[in-house]
Amino acid sequence: MTSEENIIDAIVDLDEPTALRMADQLIKRGVDPVEILEKCRQGMSIVGKKFETGEFFLSEMIMAAEIFNQVMERIRPELTKNSTESKGKILIGTVEGDVHDIGKNIVITLLEAEGYTVVDLGVDVSSARFVEAIKEHKPDIVGMSSLLTVALESTKKTMDAVTEAGLRDSVKIIIGGGRVDPQAAEYIKPDAFTDNAALGVKLIKQLVRGEDP
Amino acid sequence: MTDYEELYRQRKERIHTATQLKEPDRVPVLGSFGYFTARYYGINNFEFLFNYEEASKAIVKTSVDFGYDTGAGLSTLGAMPLTLAFLGEYDGLVPGWVNGPVHDILGVRYARFPGRELSMDSPFQFIGEEYMKVNEYDALIADPQRFIAEKLLPRTLRNLADPGSPHAMATLFKWGEERRKSDEAGAKLSKKLKAYGFPGFTSGISYAPLDFIGDFMRDIKNVIFDCYRVPDKVKQACEGLRDLIVEMVRISVEGKPRGSIQFIPLHLNEYFSPKMYAEFYWPTLREVVEEMIKLGVTPELFYEGQHKAHLETILELPKGKTISKFEKTDLKAAKEIIGDHSCIIGGPPSSLFFSTPEKIDTYVKDLFSDVKEGGGFMLSPGVTVPEGAPAENVKALMDAAVKYGVY
Repeated sequence: MTSEENIIDAIVDLDEPTALRMADQLIKRGVDPVEILEKCRQGMSIVGKKFETGEFFLSEMIMAAEIFNQVMERIRPELTKNSTESKGKILIGTVEGDVHDIGKNIVITLLEAEGYTVVDLGVDVSSARFVEAIKEHKPDIVGMSSLLTVALESTKKTMDAVTEAGLRDSVKIIIGGGRVDPQAAEYIKPDAFTDNAALGVKLIKQLVRGEDP
Repeated sequence: MTDYEELYRQRKERIHTATQLKEPDRVPVLGSFGYFTARYYGINNFEFLFNYEEASKAIVKTSVDFGYDTGAGLSTLGAMPLTLAFLGEYDGLVPGWVNGPVHDILGVRYARFPGRELSMDSPFQFIGEEYMKVNEYDALIADPQRFIAEKLLPRTLRNLADPGSPHAMATLFKWGEERRKSDEAGAKLSKKLKAYGFPGFTSGISYAPLDFIGDFMRDIKNVIFDCYRVPDKVKQACEGLRDLIVEMVRISVEGKPRGSIQFIPLHLNEYFSPKMYAEFYWPTLREVVEEMIKLGVTPELFYEGQHKAHLETILELPKGKTISKFEKTDLKAAKEIIGDHSCIIGGPPSSLFFSTPEKIDTYVKDLFSDVKEGGGFMLSPGVTVPEGAPAENVKALMDAAVKYGVY
């Protein structure tokens, strides 16, 4: 078995020391970082599927994302030299009044692993900052994340601000988080909603392709 | 005229019967009103958390107006480190928690309060951070209580940052004084609610050892990394905390009648796969629960988030001795698996309170057809009634329970 295949297995097995050792070896051997990235993406894709089917839970996702991000750190300096084409641009942030970011960060890692460009606004992001950032970055998709029930109100406010700024038709909007449910979606009216990170990534991919989720 | 004593007796009996996995006269409805209480009475969240008298009035009004089987309550943030740090030294602090004035006195870093760090109408927020480094597990394992008192408190409480300083010592005095005031306000409120026919429900709080590490020491993400990177240390730390938590429960019920209910909010449960849950989370939590039962306490475990994958583990606990509250877990599935084993509490998600009385009626009707039979079920808002929910919807939940809940 080659090291390239091993690194996929190591990510899927959540074997952090092996995955990082493999990455270092591959870099040292002069393997194209794009190729290493591709293997890691395959690993993360399997992890994402296992999460969707219920074999993996959040703890596995969080650990896999941590491993992936560490490999990325190692190969990023090399990668920027010959960057690959982005599949689409996603602007994402946790809405005002909420500082939870575990779900958001998993979504970001999965999206980056799939080859999307992600602009992360961080946490406690005001509606005004969302609006400014949409104008500045012109994303395909905007993701509004939250965990608190009370943050659903703030998500609604952000949605209204985007509409008032005349930007609602220029982007697709997905809301995600632990308290997001059909009733919340009926109230906030996004293009897609989810309380599951892996499903969120799937929905975002559909939105980028112009499909109705 | 309402016979409040009779109402009190009926409600208490109704809840007790359901807890014993039997059919009461109708499905009990537990009050969990949160900040709705403040909004309904007409005060902001700041007053609700800082002004005992106004908060108590709001609670009595909400309780009486909606007439669930238990009343509303004061809103406080559980603060387990405060309890465990002084355990055995001064038991007047069991259980520990933080309200508005206590937050001011201690300067709690892991909490943000309305009228302080947040706007007047925000709920308080818990902010998890890394207050203990991964290389400190050995110190925590060696002496959990000392570690909490000497390392964790100074790091998490601004006004105890310099232990032994005049400022820190004065802070402890102020905290003690405030604690007495709030305890008195709490006792007065309970008496008032009782006079209106409302029995108390839980009296005390306990914790899953791994949640203690995740919530107050390492933060959720880090504690998950630790499970992969330093698994043995995580397990040993949980064992030490288990003993401390059990001791806290023992002290909290000493000299009191058996049969009290204590609340255990679970946080990391939905993060774990069954394999990880069985290895890191469940063993010491199960032991805490079993010891509580031996001490005559009925633990009410709040399985936050989605607990479907772990429902079977509840069967490992003694039958009829625990209460299981669910948030997002399908209640029908829960009833099928643990219905004969542990009394279930559950109900509508927060967002349903923003719909219509008709939708709530339908929800309760459907829910009861799934879970009512045989008893052992109590209706409650899935988390709490959300602030700003229309009063007619809050009333609709009780109306529907009376309509469909009679056995």
